[in-house]
Amino acid sequence: MVERIEDLNLPNAVIARLIKEALPEGSNVSKEARAAIAKAASVFAIFVTSSSTALAHKQNHKTITAKDILQTLNDLDFESFVPLLSQDLEVYRKMIKDKKESKANSKKDASTGDAATSSSNTFADAIEMVTEA
Amino acid sequence: MVDKDASLTQPQRKPNADTFLPLSRVRTIMKSSMDTGLITNEVLFLMTRCTEFFVQHLAREAHTAYCGKAGGGDTLKYDHLSQLVNKTKNLEFLLQIVPEKIRVHEFQEMLRRNRANGGDDDSTSESESQSESE
Repeated sequence: MVERIEDLNLPNAVIARLIKEALPEGSNVSKEARAAIAKAASVFAIFVTSSSTALAHKQNHKTITAKDILQTLNDLDFESFVPLLSQDLEVYRKMIKDKKESKANSKKDASTGDAATSSSNTFADAIEMVTEA
Repeated sequence: MVDKDASLTQPQRKPNADTFLPLSRVRTIMKSSMDTGLITNEVLFLMTRCTEFFVQHLAREAHTAYCGKAGGGDTLKYDHLSQLVNKTKNLEFLLQIVPEKIRVHEFQEMLRRNRANGGDDDSTSESESQSESE
C-alpha cells in the first residue's frame, strides 16, 4: 500500500502555515522543530486511527465511524479537540447534504441550462475529486 | 479562497469544512495502520481536521511553555518540543519520535553502564547488536 516511506510525510508548506497560524506574530520556528512536528502529526494520525479501529472492532464494527474517532480522542486525553471537531463535522455534513440536493436539482434543471449553482459547489467537487483519486 | 480570519487559533473561529492538509495523504497514512477497514469521506475529513488541530496544539503548547524562557528568543526549537513531550502525559506516544537529544559522550557513558550491568536488559542488548551489525 505504502510504496515509499515519504508517502507518510505531510507536506512541509502546509505544516509550516498551520504552525505559523498557531503562534503569536513574529515568532519563528526552527527547521528541526518543524520537521519534528510534521513527523509527530503523521504518528498522531496513525495512533488515533489504530486506536479507533480497535474501538470499532471491540463493538464488532468493521469500519470506524466519526463517533469512534471522537470517543478515541476522549480516551487518549485529547478531549479539548472534541467540541471544535464536532462543530466542523456538522458543517461538513451539511455541506455534503447541500451538495447532494443541488446535484439532484441540477439534474432536474439540466434542460434549462442553469449554471448559477455551479460556483458554490467548487469546493465540494474538489473534495470529491481528491478523495476519489 | 481560505479566509484568513477563520484561523484555528482564534477562539471565535468559525466552524468550517475546509481542510488545509491534503485528504489523499491523510488517507494513505490511515491505511498504513493495520486493519483499517473502509475509510468514509466523513471519517477522512475528521481525521484530517484533528491532525491539523494536533499540529497547532503541539506548536502552541511548546511555545507557551518554553519559548522566551532562559533568553532563547522567540524561536520554537526542537528542544522545546522534546521537553514538552517528556513532560506531558497525553504526548507519551511521541517519546520515541521526538526524543531528547543527548551528547555522544553521554550515550557512550550509558552504554558503558549497561554493559557493566551485564546486559540483562533486553532492549539494550538488542540495540547494541543492531549497531554492531551496521
